[in-house]
Amino acid sequence: MSRLIQKRIGHLAVNVAVAVGAVITLVPLAWMVFSSFKTTTEIFTYPPWLMPRELSLFNYESLLRGFPFGRWYLNSIFYCAVVTVAVPLVCSLAGYAFAKLSFRGRRGLFLLVLASIVIPFQVILIPMFILMSQIGWVDTPYAMTIPWIAPALGIFLMRQYSYAIPAELLEAARIDGASEFRIYWQIVLPLLKNGLAALAIIQFLSSWNSYIWPLMVLRGQESMTLPVGLAGMQAQAAGTATPYGEMMAGATLASLPVIVLFLIAQRYLISGLTTGAVK
Amino acid sequence: MRTSARLTPGANRLQGGRNPYLFVSPFFVLFAIFFLVPTLASLVLALYRWNGVATPEWVGLSNFRRLFSDPVFWQVARNTTFYTLASVLILIPLGLVLALGLNARALRFKRMWRSIYFTPVVVSAAATSLVFQILLSRDAGLVNGLLGQFGLGPVPWLQSRAWVKVGVFMVVAWRTLPLLTVYFLAGLQAIPKELHEAAMTDGAGSVRRFWYVTLPLLRPVVLFVLVVVTLNSIQLFDEVQILTDGGPANASATAMHYLYSRGFERLRFGFASSVATLLFGIALSAALVEARTLGGLGIDREG
Repeated sequence: MSRLIQKRIGHLAVNVAVAVGAVITLVPLAWMVFSSFKTTTEIFTYPPWLMPRELSLFNYESLLRGFPFGRWYLNSIFYCAVVTVAVPLVCSLAGYAFAKLSFRGRRGLFLLVLASIVIPFQVILIPMFILMSQIGWVDTPYAMTIPWIAPALGIFLMRQYSYAIPAELLEAARIDGASEFRIYWQIVLPLLKNGLAALAIIQFLSSWNSYIWPLMVLRGQESMTLPVGLAGMQAQAAGTATPYGEMMAGATLASLPVIVLFLIAQRYLISGLTTGAVK
Repeated sequence: MRTSARLTPGANRLQGGRNPYLFVSPFFVLFAIFFLVPTLASLVLALYRWNGVATPEWVGLSNFRRLFSDPVFWQVARNTTFYTLASVLILIPLGLVLALGLNARALRFKRMWRSIYFTPVVVSAAATSLVFQILLSRDAGLVNGLLGQFGLGPVPWLQSRAWVKVGVFMVVAWRTLPLLTVYFLAGLQAIPKELHEAAMTDGAGSVRRFWYVTLPLLRPVVLFVLVVVTLNSIQLFDEVQILTDGGPANASATAMHYLYSRGFERLRFGFASSVATLLFGIALSAALVEARTLGGLGIDREG
């Protein structure tokens, strides 16, 4: 009898603890959204209170009027679109070759890919920036896209997913005389659907949220991406009051698409993220 | 060659012709230009003094000598060590506990809870940092408001040299913890249920099952998470730059922030490269651990 009660209490404790953690997770997001309807004075009123006094869109209005926010949004969408489409293609091509085709030097080349995963990109920040300025790519869309369309992690991921492709299928296509590229395009790509989706989402997120690189290579208000533009609103306001209301409106609008994407495609994202961790 | 491959299908794994090289070449071309060359350049540049305009001047190891005699560098090294240790000692155990909770059989509405827990993974460091500036505000922030309920505070989270690292760490934790939980949860789900059932038949309680079944099987995941956390801590930049810009008086600055400010704000490219070279060495040491993890991940695995 007492064992049963003990068990019940244990179950209840797990549920309560998880719920408390969920609240802690959600509070900053809720605060972001609700603060976007408050004036800066109301945001910093004591005691802190989540709900705004009235639901007004003045922050959104003044954000769109006073800052090139629409432009930042379009820039972010454009850079993300290029990377999100190009990365899965380039990486699946190489990942499939590493997993399913035999060639001299395959092991050595793949080790090179693996080694590069663990070297922090920030280590090459300075020479990368110098390279960009020497080839005249500073403040161009090239700098935001081309260096990033072949991430080593993507190759690794696509290689893992490619192992599931049955060899017989490839053999059959070869016997039918299909070219290697056609096999890739018509047989391999459709079979890699899940992996491609996972990689596309991971790339979209990392591109959408990236901060230090655009901070370095983009110049001028008009060419900023969302994170850099938003964080810059603070620095820009030096002297005058920091426009927290507008910043929260901007943060809300910037986070909305990724949260929606996450809720829709959670399965792919998590499978992509954990492919490296489990096994 | 191709004809013989067609006649003996088993042998054609060895005869992809030029195709495999064509397939991997887009990657390696970009990789060489935008990764290998800059990496090597970074190592060489560390031995020069250069502001990006004048002719680079060979200075040998003097960049490193100046680096090691700069008190700010040691401050930054201590800060980075703080963030790394705090992440390893607090976030990793906490992530594991959260994953155990989310994986518990007693938990209801599992899917909903998991979705909620994982959401911060997709939100940008910029948006997160901005909202935490409000939450951590000294006079009107929610965190101090809650502490005030217990008669504590107010704590100047982002203004005082004593507290700023804790403040920044809270922001980092909110975004990092869910990611670690994702990894651990995947690891837990990969453990065959039969093992737990067998241990239960043998009369092992939940604590013993965790200690003798779950934890040993989770070892590779723990190792992987350890490396991810270490590398992330070495590279910590976004939150620091947005929340405090390293201040007050460098109390929250990280190695990356130091590299960035010396390189881009003061245009000391050679000096900043010596910082990068040092980070490279540290990351490589961590990479040795990761190589072991990935080694078990299938470098030798054949389809």
